[in-house]
Amino acid sequence: MEFDGTVSIADVTSEEVWLALSDPVMIKQSLPGCQFLVAVDDEEVDFDELDESSTDEDPETLPAADPEAIAERAFVDGGRYAALMQISVGSVEPSFETVVTIEEREFPRMDASGEGSAASSSFEMASGMELVETDDGVEIEWWAEADVFGRVAQMGQRVINPVANRVVGRFFDRIEDELRDVQTDEPSGLRDRVSGLF
Amino acid sequence: MATDESPQEPRPEGVETVAAEDVDAADILGSAVERREDPSLLTGDAEYTDDIQLPEMAHVAILRSQYAHARIDGIDTDAAEGMDGVVDIYTADDLDVSGNVPTAWELDTLREVDHPLLAEERVRYQGDAIAVVVAEERYQAHDALDAIDVDYERLDAVTDPTEALDEDAPVLHEEAGENTAFEWEIGDAEATDEAFAEAGTVVDLDVTNQLLIPNAMEPRAAVADYDPGDDELTVHMASQNPHVHRLLMSGVLDHPEHKLRIRAPDVGGGFGSKIHHYPDEALAAWTAKRLERPVKWQATRTETYLTDAQGRGHETHGEIAIDDDGNIRGLRIDTKANLGAYLSTFAPAVPTYLYGTLMSGQYEIPAIHCEVTGAYSNVPPVDAYRGAGRPEASYIVERLVNRAADAVDADPAEFRRQNFVDPDDFPYETPVAVEYDSGDYEKPLDKALDLVGYEGFRERQAEAREEGRYLGIGLSCYIEACGLAPSELVGALGARAGLWESGLVRFTPTGTVTAACGTSGHGQGHDTTYAQIVANELGVDYEDVDVKEGDTADLPQGMGTYGSRSAAVGGSALVKGAREVVEKAKRIAAHQLEAATEDIEFDDGDFHVAGAPDRSMGIQEVALEAYLAHDLPDDVDPGLEATAFYDPDNFVFPFGTHVAVVEVDPETGEIDFENYVAVDDVGNQINPKIVEGQIHGGIAQGIGQALYEGAEYDDNGQLTTGSMQDYAVPKSSHIPEMETDSTTTPSPVNPLGVKGVGEAGTIAAPQAVVNAVVDALEPFGVEHIEMPLTNERVWRAVDERAGATGGDD
Amino acid sequence: MEREITLTVNGTDHELSVEPRTLLVHALRDEMGYTGPNVGCESSMCGACTVHVDGEAVKACTELAVRAEDAEITTIEGMGEEGDMHPLQESFQAEHGLQCGYCTPGMVMTASAFLEENPDPEREEIREALEGNLCRCTGYQNIVNAVESAAEEMRDSPMSPETATGETAADGGTVEEGGD
Repeated sequence: MEFDGTVSIADVTSEEVWLALSDPVMIKQSLPGCQFLVAVDDEEVDFDELDESSTDEDPETLPAADPEAIAERAFVDGGRYAALMQISVGSVEPSFETVVTIEEREFPRMDASGEGSAASSSFEMASGMELVETDDGVEIEWWAEADVFGRVAQMGQRVINPVANRVVGRFFDRIEDELRDVQTDEPSGLRDRVSGLF
Repeated sequence: MATDESPQEPRPEGVETVAAEDVDAADILGSAVERREDPSLLTGDAEYTDDIQLPEMAHVAILRSQYAHARIDGIDTDAAEGMDGVVDIYTADDLDVSGNVPTAWELDTLREVDHPLLAEERVRYQGDAIAVVVAEERYQAHDALDAIDVDYERLDAVTDPTEALDEDAPVLHEEAGENTAFEWEIGDAEATDEAFAEAGTVVDLDVTNQLLIPNAMEPRAAVADYDPGDDELTVHMASQNPHVHRLLMSGVLDHPEHKLRIRAPDVGGGFGSKIHHYPDEALAAWTAKRLERPVKWQATRTETYLTDAQGRGHETHGEIAIDDDGNIRGLRIDTKANLGAYLSTFAPAVPTYLYGTLMSGQYEIPAIHCEVTGAYSNVPPVDAYRGAGRPEASYIVERLVNRAADAVDADPAEFRRQNFVDPDDFPYETPVAVEYDSGDYEKPLDKALDLVGYEGFRERQAEAREEGRYLGIGLSCYIEACGLAPSELVGALGARAGLWESGLVRFTPTGTVTAACGTSGHGQGHDTTYAQIVANELGVDYEDVDVKEGDTADLPQGMGTYGSRSAAVGGSALVKGAREVVEKAKRIAAHQLEAATEDIEFDDGDFHVAGAPDRSMGIQEVALEAYLAHDLPDDVDPGLEATAFYDPDNFVFPFGTHVAVVEVDPETGEIDFENYVAVDDVGNQINPKIVEGQIHGGIAQGIGQALYEGAEYDDNGQLTTGSMQDYAVPKSSHIPEMETDSTTTPSPVNPLGVKGVGEAGTIAAPQAVVNAVVDALEPFGVEHIEMPLTNERVWRAVDERAGATGGDD
Repeated sequence: MEREITLTVNGTDHELSVEPRTLLVHALRDEMGYTGPNVGCESSMCGACTVHVDGEAVKACTELAVRAEDAEITTIEGMGEEGDMHPLQESFQAEHGLQCGYCTPGMVMTASAFLEENPDPEREEIREALEGNLCRCTGYQNIVNAVESAAEEMRDSPMSPETATGETAADGGTVEEGGD
């Protein structure tokens, strides 16, 4: 399955969007059903352990967070991240134990791949995005290719497509909301501090 | 469907049933008596496998591969084993039996491959069995499936037979080296080349005969029970052929055949899917034996989509050669047949001997050559589904014949008529190894053309086109072959079994009769038709005959119900048994009547001395004497029964003409039936209402293939039509009113003169529909559309042609 | 986790203990022995499991048993009178409206609910009414014939559908289902 789209966010800079989309905490909070999203080193990821050690309290994100702190924890090229994603598909709600690899990350472009597995279902995904600065803001051009397997795949695209659209739609809505806060927070000089990072 | 605002159509004429008690005994054969099995099916008294509850019964659920192709690096069952109600979990390592599912048909070039009951290190289709969960309750067994953790390494998958044969394709079975399962040919390649070289006109066509999912309404199921005291293993299962299942399963489970009982209770349809030996029922049986406890496995609908053997799956290039007089001179067929991931029971036979041998259709074709390459691919095993090889043959032949008629500017009906085998030429030997038993092809053609109003059709079609309405008419003059036989021949063709049938006819002392047959009906009304046959032979009341089928414990041997063989082979076995009974009774009657056996005549159930009708004795009285045994001839033993084995001399070849009339909306791609006419010749009819029902149902499945159905897979081999929501089993509103009629050309092969009817409709319908749609779209230059003819495909075909010819879009 | 419930089936009360997720069709079949309704798809597509709940045709494979408490449930076993089939059952036999019989209980239950609403249907209306009940054997034509004939028979006969289905039958007592 292939999906793509363009999301426009007004009155932001591409640096702000880049920072937001590079922040694992922001991503975790914006992805519907994401229980945790953490960097991992080991080849074998113990999701049970990660689930137990994960807390509901996340560090601050933009605009409250210190941009330097975000830059510190931001996705890195070649980095691997583990996430637990609970998604309701039709009558089932599988929890996908997902490992994401940042394949390439160079402003303003980032590519990632991922694999997730749940009981009787799994998926494989390649995705990417590129930021394009426009007259009144930034456009995020994104694309994803996903292969779905097992029980979820069997529900067919009739069921899966709306789910994928829902997940993507909510994700960018949340990102947009957060960035609107960045924009309204302008008097704090955040924008300058963000651009200072680049 | 387009709205139909025509006034209410009257009910099409059909056969009227009669109650058995209203039929004279002498007329019972050939009467449309109401089915005796119906009251139990109509009131909930029927017993399907899932209705069986045994004390202490546990439930089995089977974990299936989520990938179409993967290596298994590990299976962790710990979490699942700890779950509520879980009794045990088994993987391949636990199986202590040979556990290799066999195929029952060989071919010279066949590369046989292992088919383990549970996948060992590799899974080859989505649905391949990996582990068995046993739990106290049905839901608990299914809950535990989700807790089993399988460590997969996904491999590339291939689902299309042509792609599977490509040298770069992922190889399914390393021991086979490549995905080619076999290469097979029939006919004379050289003679065919010559015919094509000399032909005035050659027409070719590429067609896909798509994979279909049988969708019997009852998903497969098994209840297994083991008695360790005497090592008796009993499996109640949804089977079309309990004796065949017993034979194969005894080998798979290393369990002695005489200690294995297979019983088919009421079975909710099969259409081929319940012929085959799958891993699942054997796993249930093995589990019952291992635990010494009854277990039930009931497939979910999802499992039937993932694991029931699918049908068709051909990609074919066909060519037909016609001379300047409009005679067909040659036919050349090259087919890639999808066999799926493993060789199923009859899989090697279906795209070969059940396919290539039918390429002559109803026509005199001097030279035919057909070659078939079988391919392993990452879809479920492909095997017999209603029609099995014959629909594929009939489809390519009738599509080519239709195009040939177009190419030489002939009327499709007259072109067919001109090329029909002449009625005086029967038995007719075709260039593809079979001999047609009897036929008179113009009769059903004429009757069908008359019923459909063919004469005025072209004029109506032209008028409609002027109004922007697109009517089309499609003919299908099909041939089919039923009752594969004799055993010696099928053995030479590769069958690892005979295809005879066995029938037992037994009088009780009080004159009632038990008739048992080794076939196993699952909706065809055998109880009724066999009782009609036996009552007629013995001259006893229909109500005095009880019919038994489907249980290896109390039946003679048998080969089961498939290939429209039951009436022709099973019915004939009963005739043979009944006649042996009558012969013995005649000797007893002669003794009782103090006459020579040669002087005894038998009719309508009475023995009488020739020339002295008063000196007579009814067969039921004779039965009593046979069991009293007080006064029998010296050389006659007590009792009155016979078990006959009947091995026919030849196949039987039903035929007929189906005509579809459709209206196609080129703007939307919608297809509406204006009429569907079927005139079938299935030889003599034992029960015309049952014949009609078989034809109706067959047509519905044929229309399903033509317009709605098709198993589809994504690039990874994931089934994307895995539910009734995504795979369109036709609904009541999808099937048109059908007008059915028949002609009768008895078969000389068997004593009943019957030919077989179960598959005729399915074999006939698809090309009638496709030919009609293509005819309707002739003004747009549409020459072919692949099945299923969905609205989208029809619309695209019109749209593409419009683009190609520079017409507006 | 199990809940004690009472289900009224064909006029008889049954006390049984079920999980909240237990489907009505499994409660009927496995707990109470009403094996007439069959499971064909577990997704309310095929209709083989159709029963009446308070006179309405309901697909018992997607209805929870606990939700059917306090309702009058009729299964195919409750159609017709003792020893006499319902006119629909009779006409399914007379018209050869069934072959393997697996879809038949659901067909009859859907058809009977439909005929109560529309006692004199056109053939097209019958086909529409049966769209939620799949049959793989008959091609539907003889089913449509059966429903049409039964409708005629029921219009002509003095017996009302309610009496015929036994849905207003007197209380048939209470049965306690043994746990397992």
